[in-house]
Parts: sequence; C-alpha cells; structure tokens
Amino acid sequence: MRFFIRDDAAGASTHVASYIVDRINHFAPTPAHPFVLGLPTGSTPLGVYKSLVEKYKAGEVSFENVVTFNMDEYIGIPRDHPESYHSFMWKHFFSHVNIHPNNAHILDGNAPNLEAECVEYEAKIQAAGGIDLFLAGMGEDGHIAFNEPGSSLASRTRVKTLAYGTILANSRFFGDDLDKVPKMALTVGVQTVLEAREVVVLALGARKALALQRCVEQGVNHMWTLSALHLHPHSMIVCDEDATLELQVKTVKYFKDIEQVALAQGFQQILPSQVRTGPATVPTTIVTDEFPPPTIHSPQPTTSRLLCATPATEYPLRSRSPSPEPSLRHLLTTPETEYTQDTEYTLDSRAATPDFMPDSMASRIGDPSLLRRATPNPEQRHLQQPRQRSKSPALVSAGRLNGIKV
Amino acid sequence: MPSAVRSASPRLIGITKLTNCRLVRGDDLVWGDVWVSSTTGKIIRSQSAFYDELTMPDEVIDLGGRIVSPGFIECQLNGAYGFNFSTLVDDMTQYGKQLRSLNKRLVQTGVTSYIPTVTSQTSHLYKKVLPFLGPSGSSRRADDGAESLGAHVEGPFLNPTKNGVHNRSVLRVASSLADLEDMYGVANITPSSFQSSPPSPSSTPTDATTPTTPTSPPSEIPIKMITVAPELGTMANLISELTSRGILVSIGHSEATYEEASAAVSAGATMITHLFNAMRPLHHRDPGIFGVLGATEPAPQLQPEPQQSQQQPQKRPYFGLIADGIHLHPATVKIAWRAHPAGLVLVTDAMHMVGLPDGRYEWTNGEGEHYIVKRGSVLELEGTGVIAGSSITLIDCISNFLTYTGATIPQALCAVTSTPAAMLGVAGVKGSLEAGADADLVVLSEKEEEGEGGGDRRELVVDEVWKFGVRVFERGRD
Repeated sequence: MRFFIRDDAAGASTHVASYIVDRINHFAPTPAHPFVLGLPTGSTPLGVYKSLVEKYKAGEVSFENVVTFNMDEYIGIPRDHPESYHSFMWKHFFSHVNIHPNNAHILDGNAPNLEAECVEYEAKIQAAGGIDLFLAGMGEDGHIAFNEPGSSLASRTRVKTLAYGTILANSRFFGDDLDKVPKMALTVGVQTVLEAREVVVLALGARKALALQRCVEQGVNHMWTLSALHLHPHSMIVCDEDATLELQVKTVKYFKDIEQVALAQGFQQILPSQVRTGPATVPTTIVTDEFPPPTIHSPQPTTSRLLCATPATEYPLRSRSPSPEPSLRHLLTTPETEYTQDTEYTLDSRAATPDFMPDSMASRIGDPSLLRRATPNPEQRHLQQPRQRSKSPALVSAGRLNGIKV
Repeated sequence: MPSAVRSASPRLIGITKLTNCRLVRGDDLVWGDVWVSSTTGKIIRSQSAFYDELTMPDEVIDLGGRIVSPGFIECQLNGAYGFNFSTLVDDMTQYGKQLRSLNKRLVQTGVTSYIPTVTSQTSHLYKKVLPFLGPSGSSRRADDGAESLGAHVEGPFLNPTKNGVHNRSVLRVASSLADLEDMYGVANITPSSFQSSPPSPSSTPTDATTPTTPTSPPSEIPIKMITVAPELGTMANLISELTSRGILVSIGHSEATYEEASAAVSAGATMITHLFNAMRPLHHRDPGIFGVLGATEPAPQLQPEPQQSQQQPQKRPYFGLIADGIHLHPATVKIAWRAHPAGLVLVTDAMHMVGLPDGRYEWTNGEGEHYIVKRGSVLELEGTGVIAGSSITLIDCISNFLTYTGATIPQALCAVTSTPAAMLGVAGVKGSLEAGADADLVVLSEKEEEGEGGGDRRELVVDEVWKFGVRVFERGRD
C-alpha cells in the first residue's frame, strides 16, 4: 500500500487529481482502449473534482476517451433530485468536462428491476475492460462505497440497506427530515472495488482519523470494509494531516520517510506497466522472421565503451568477453569455425586501443557464431536470446555437444 | 458492448453551451453554464440532456466571466431607425417590410422582444397597422430578430390635459366597450373566444410563415396593452372587461387622483405608463397616481376583522420609468425604485429617431407638420420645448439606472427582463434563464468609468445577443 500524507485537504485533493491526470495521460486512452475510472460522490472528493475540472480547462487532460463508473446511487429518489448522485456528478464534474454521456455510468436507482440493474452494471464494467483506477472516499466507520460495517468483503454490486448512522449523516442534505432520506442504495461491492487494477482512497479530516487508523494499522476486518484494501496489490491512500490523528507516530513517519527517500532517489512509486496500461497488450519486442539474419555487419566491440568521452568509471569495466552464461559454456569449445570475421573484429578494436588489449578465452574460439552468442552486449543478448533458443539451428545442433567442458 | 464504445459521432442537434459566465438568477449573479438549443429555441435542462438524450453540446463558448442576462423586453417603443409604428404608408406591404428590417436591427441592441407602441391616432390608422404589430414569435425564427409580444396602444382614450406630444384632436372619451372596438377594430381587441364561434384562444399558435402580415390567422389578438386615463368616461368600469379579454390596462396620460388610480388598480389595471411623465406630480395632500405605489399590501392577520376584510388587499401595479436622464431626475428614479423595486420596468419611450444621427426630423402626430430636433439623446418638438419621447436605447437606460441608484446589476437587469415578463404574463418563457424558457440571451460586459460629476458611471455593454438559441449579434463582428 502506498500512503501519502499532505498538509491539508487541498494538498491531498490536488495530489489525487494530479495522480489521476498523470495516469490518464500515461495511459494514452483511445476510443478502442479507454481509460476506465471508478468515481465516488460525497464531500471528500469535491476538491478532486474541482482540481480535475481546472486541469481539464487548462488543457492538461482530456476525458474524451475516459469511461467512468460511479460507485453508488440512492434508490427511490428522482434521478434529477438535487441530492441524487446523478445530479452530484453532473454538477461537480460531468457538466464541466468533455466526457461523453455514453461513457458515464451511474447505477439507476429507479430501475424497474434493481437486481438486474446490478448484474448489468457488473457486466458493463467487464465489457469496458475492468476499472483501471477506482477513486474512493472513506466513511467515518471505514466504509467504502455503501459497503457499511459487516458487509461481505466478497460482495459485488447489489442493493444495500443503509445503516442508521449513514441515514442520520445524510439527513443534512434532505432538510434534516429523516423521512425524506433514502434508506436504500445501489452500490458496488468490496470485491468490485478490489478488482480494479488500482484503488486510490482519499481520507480528509479528523473525523476520518479513527477509521483510517483501523484501515491502515490493523488487519483486514469486515467491520472496517476499507481495510480490504490490504488485499489489493496496488492501493494508495492519500490523506491530510488531520486524518492521521489516530495513527502512530511511527506509522506516519514510516510513510513520510518512504516518500522522502523515493523522491530523493528520483524514483516514483509507480505501478508495473501491466497495471498502468490496462488490458492493452504491453508493448513487447516481437520476434519475427524478418529479423535481420544472424550476421554481424558492424560489430560492436565491448571495448568501445571505454572510448566514450564520458568517464569510464560510469560504466562497468568489463572484459571483452566475460565468462558466458553457464548454460552456454559448453558451447564455447566447439572447434568447427573459421576465423575470418573475428580477425577483423579484433583488428578494429586493437587499432583504437593500442595499449589495452583485453583478451579472453572466448576470443580464441574458432566458431564466430559462437563467439557472437557470447558477446556480452546486454541489450542484444536480451533481444536475441529467446529467438536463438527456439529458432537457431546452430544452437539446436550445438545442444548435441553436451558434455564438453570448457 | 456499447458501454465502452461510443456511437460514431455525436448528433448535431444545435446545442450550444455557454460557459465561464455569470448568470442573472434572482438578485444574484451566479457562476454557471447555460445550454441552449437552436432547434427548439429554448434553454435546455442540461442534466436531462446528458443522461437522457446522451447529448453533448455541439459548441462550447467560453464567455470569459461575462454576464449572461435574459434578452431585454422593451415595453414602450414608438419606432426606431427611421420607422415609426404610428405611420401609414400607401402600400402596407412596405410597412411590413420596414417592420421586419427594424426587428433585425433592434435585436442588436439586446432587445429580443418588445411591445410596439402606437400613440394616439385615428381609428383608420389603428385598423391598418395593428394587424402588423401583433405577436410575431410563433414562427420562432432567430433571423427575424426582435419579436413582438403584442401591440401597446397608448391612446386615444387619454386626458387632453396630459397629452404630451399626442394630438389632442384625436383623443376620445369611451363610454362603452363598443367605443374601443370601433376605435381599434373588433378583430384587434376581441379574442376568438369572445366572438361568435369560440375556438379556444389558448390553442396552439399556428406556424405562420409571415407572422407580421395580416393574412396570418391571428392566434392571439394584436393588442397586448392599452394605456388609458381611468378618470374619463366610463373607463373605470371598462378596465375589468378589458382584462378579461387578456388585455393589460395601463394608467397614463392621466389626471387621475390617488383615489381614481387606486380604483383603477383594484379594477385590474396592472401598469403605469411612464410614471411621473404626463400625469399629476406627487403632491403631499394628493399623491396622485404615484401614490398607488405607496399602498401597502396588508400583512396577513390572524383574525381579520370584518371591516378590514372588506378592504381588498391592494396589489401594486408595475410602472414604467424612462431613465434617459432627461425625462426624470435621477433622484426621482431612485425614489420610485425604492418605493416598489419589484414593479419597476425600465422603458425608453424611444421615437423612430433612435439610431439616427442628430438633426431636424419631420414628424406628424396627425395634426399638421412638425419637426423634432434631435440633439444627442434629447428630442424636442421644435419651437415648444416639449420633450418628444426619447432616443435612448434600453441598454443605456440600464446603465443610467445603475449609475443613479447604485442598484446591483441583477436588480437593474430584472427591470428589463423578469419584471416586464411577469407584467406581460410571459414569466418563465421570456425574461428567464431557467430551463424551458426561450433562449433569448444577452451577453454583457461591465464598464466602470470616472463620471464628470465625481460619481463613477457604471455601464453595461451588449457584447452578444442570442435569439431562440442562435447568436444573432456579436459586437465588433457586425
């Protein structure tokens, strides 16, 4: 779990917004490969939405190819009721950015069949390729979405009865009239959130301190549903100073130190590219038959590194041919070679380095193809290895020479 | 699945989103967006459009923090750009042509709807011109420019002693409704429900191709408002008959006492035509028409005594003020506004010389040849010193009003938008930025500059005008 503490609510919100913008921009979403964002409502994320809108207006991010899924919606209040989450999202986010209405998903609390609505919602998330980043707030009792204490940590999108405390807390939005507060809601489940490729939680204010302590310092507990985050490989919590009130000094210091060290190293706590790019294929080197034939047209002598203008100490001093990988060692003694290519090769390097003549047993090997394999050019080795293992007939035939010792 | 993949391209349905602007909402300027549709010509409920219609605006216009007001409604306009509504031309098709040209130019001043005013004239002229001046909005074409909400006949049932520049010889005293029907023409004053075969007058307005020509079936009668002197003849009794026909009655050009004016208001008069001008001044023992604004709407009582219950709660009328700096002293404007802020309607009473250069213009009120001398925005009947209407635009009236009274911008804008709309019975359709209202908008910038007299002059400038969801004017791109 990554854990960031900012001085105040504004700082924490901006941090989250910047992080989301970075994620979207790095993802480079396209219509066929949209960035899928899970979104919360409530007072906590207001600052994040505000910041996101500012960044959109400043041209730092586009939501054109962003698909959103909201966490929850009340049951039984009109969609355009000022307190509905449809209205909230419209007022604070959707109306200000260029998200396409087809891409904005919110559970329909007035659906004729609520259960079917939930099933369909999960299917829609799947169809969109799963959620890339789920932004969440946290309740005072540590709930995430409407998954209140005691909710199953394996829960999915479903109809949920609200706890009395939540109804009470919400009554301030309904003229302090408990009768007007919706008692039921549709919500994504804990498992739905955990299935997102990344979860970012924002916790602001002293009122969230206890819940934050339970969720950060204690183990997974169904009474504090947000603690299920420990089961997620890529979760992140961002909070302000006030929310850390219940945490141990040790905990706060630990996470602050980690961030400091990471920053000092110029190293951000980023996600594996598989997670960052979502369901799209991670760009890998594709080895095809069009790959250049295994002839070295312009040999790259190892020693050339020593000739660079930069101080040699920056580079590991390597002998021209370090001891090859153990798996290849047995090949090195193959005698069936001519020396032609290798001769040129050594001549070149000698001309450049008259004084230093690195030499090794490998240079004396007769077979130039074997010598090439042993060339410790790391990039080339990395690229060529799989191919050679599977395709090179020389290698296959060489495999028969097992038992020959170096 | 369609959830992740958008439909090929958003449909073009003429939706424009105005953003980064301050909206006139009640007494406040509120940051917000307005979504307008050029297809329906209305302000749309953006949230429903997004979630139901899955629509996005075709165009987003950043107004850079400027003010968006509903389009102005002018309630006293005698003509403009050289065209006088109270004129007869030999070929009446020319009248319609000139009227349409006026509408297109008038809209550029921010006036998106108005009630063209015909002064005291002969019956012949009324019958000829009124069919042209009726409500013109049924076609809902933005290109047509400003829209008539119905005609205002300012006369001829006025008091000869308060005639202003109206021709005394045409002034009449009405003794029955038949006199009015004779004067204006039965068709111009009688809704179809009052005629022999009664189809409902509120039936859907037919989509007439040329709404300002008399050939179009009049869905509404041309006359919207009549200015009368209630003290004359049996006018006091005719007021309720007029209002029952959906015609607004305004008190003006009148010698009415406070009592007479109060009686007229009780009978249904809802407006005062250019308050203070062409009426008795306020006298402390006889407050006259202005005194009606002092009527207090009685506070609700727990147990109304029988004597008090006989006394009808006095509803105060709306009143027009000509804030051109000539017709009224600034302090007078302020007093009237303070007396009844919710009733104030700013009007220009502009003559056809508005928009023309200074000079000597021929003018007739039907009684010989006269000349009106235009000097700046001052119009004077040559050789008399009588003020002959104004030649100010409504936006200048608003700026004057802001400067005179220190009112807030939304308060000033209410006096040309929501208040006249309420007075004319078109609240929520005109003069409003709420969803469902007609998308008639004015984009304004504020200016504040040092005035000559030490006080700062506060000014609003019309930057853009939108009619039925289409931009019809943009300053500097004319």
